[in-house]
Amino acid sequence: MTEKDMIVCRCEEITYQDLVETAANYNCSARELKLRTRAGMGYCGGRTCRCMVDKIAATLESQKQTQITLKYQPPVRPISFGNLGGQEK
Amino acid sequence: MHDVIIIGAGPAGLSAAITCAKNGLSVFVMDEYLKPGGRLLGQLYEQPDGSWWNGVNESSRLYDQALDLGVHVQLHTPVNNIEKTDTEWVIYTEGETYYTKHLLLATGAAESPVPVPGWTLPGVMSVGAAQVMTNVHRVKPGERGVIIGVNALSSAIAMELKLAGIDVACMTLPKLSQVTDHAAQPKTVLDSLLHVSHMAPSQFVRLGSKLMKNDFMKKLGVTFYPKNGVKMWDIPIQLRKAVVEIYGDGQVEGITLANVDTNGEVVPGSEKKVPCDFVCIAGGLYPLTELAAVAGCPFYLIDELGGYVPLHNERMETSLDGLYVAGNITGIEGAKVAIAQGETAGLTIAQNSGVDGLDREIEESIQAIEQTRNNAYIQFHPHVKKGKRLLQEQWEEYVALSDKNVPNQYV
Repeated sequence: MTEKDMIVCRCEEITYQDLVETAANYNCSARELKLRTRAGMGYCGGRTCRCMVDKIAATLESQKQTQITLKYQPPVRPISFGNLGGQEK
Repeated sequence: MHDVIIIGAGPAGLSAAITCAKNGLSVFVMDEYLKPGGRLLGQLYEQPDGSWWNGVNESSRLYDQALDLGVHVQLHTPVNNIEKTDTEWVIYTEGETYYTKHLLLATGAAESPVPVPGWTLPGVMSVGAAQVMTNVHRVKPGERGVIIGVNALSSAIAMELKLAGIDVACMTLPKLSQVTDHAAQPKTVLDSLLHVSHMAPSQFVRLGSKLMKNDFMKKLGVTFYPKNGVKMWDIPIQLRKAVVEIYGDGQVEGITLANVDTNGEVVPGSEKKVPCDFVCIAGGLYPLTELAAVAGCPFYLIDELGGYVPLHNERMETSLDGLYVAGNITGIEGAKVAIAQGETAGLTIAQNSGVDGLDREIEESIQAIEQTRNNAYIQFHPHVKKGKRLLQEQWEEYVALSDKNVPNQYV
């Protein structure tokens, strides 16, 4: 296996090559890279690949010191729909 | 309703809980893991005075003390959101929703991944996972492992694996790519390695580190770094080799190791196979700040502290009313610093809850953090003190701007 086939986002099965090419083609921010590829949008909530998506985009985008590039949104841990909606068990 | 809720039952959270309880507050601690102690659980090393720092024992000591003081601890409880109403903090978990006036985030740190081709194979794990398996659950992660990533954390864990009778074939670098950058640069890695060399029993490594304190010597050090590595606790440390692939049919069978030049570029044709049955990936730690982020804390990126940290003052107060931080969420450091920070946070919370006469104690506890930092055996980042200074400056700047009601860069 080579680097280009290496999976970066396991949940959405996005490879290193997908990310590097998308970042280069669209010259995009971390958020745009996430939205274009779906990397970081799977069921783990991006807990594994977030830093890597950030890093690949950061080579193009100068990192903002005061702002986290990829926003955190609740729920920050996986939760079932029933529990989230407060449905009776 | 409890006076204070603490998220995280690690060294910082438990010591804060103990301090709050001693001052008469009712305390509720929750943690997502099944055991109390957090990352402290995995730690095991010999201290300069010859005694052993055993994280499992230290964790139960803190836990028992908290329970004796009437602290309510609930494990297996991940928090998925927090928010502030006009009067209190609301904490959402999978089951219940909790309310409190004072909320301490002691969520610790998480491990940065370093992707290597083949890293999704069973048998590849983070170095922290290997530590937890070995020291907490007493299960061998395998018979013979390779550690990818050379830093303070992985060096300490390599030694722990050796203590458990697990063969570590070598510690080495990942292949240079857009996502490995610093971790794949021999010079950067050597620099950070010099700060753990005092732990190495090898005279050569100790002497070598003394000689290489300046940049010129470091460059020479990388250039003339022995092709077969330098041994630390009998484990070859390879700074001039990198893992290009983890291979195996359905599970880890080995790694392909290649020579790299002083800049981390692979020398073509130098690939060799190293058989092993597990691989640890060590990308270092970063502060776990998700909850501070959803709460709306202002942040600042400080590499010396491991990443983005929520702005806070020396009393461990964030800029949000009733929200406090302690431990590795404020920057990557050892458990003893986290315990000291927990005490400060606990005292501040007690004072803000109306306990009088704590001024001097708070002042002393702030100094104790500094002292603990100076005496720390393992320094996760060589310039952690510089990082803390930078953070303090950012906090002061932030407070000055908010006092003037000027829209500032953080908003």
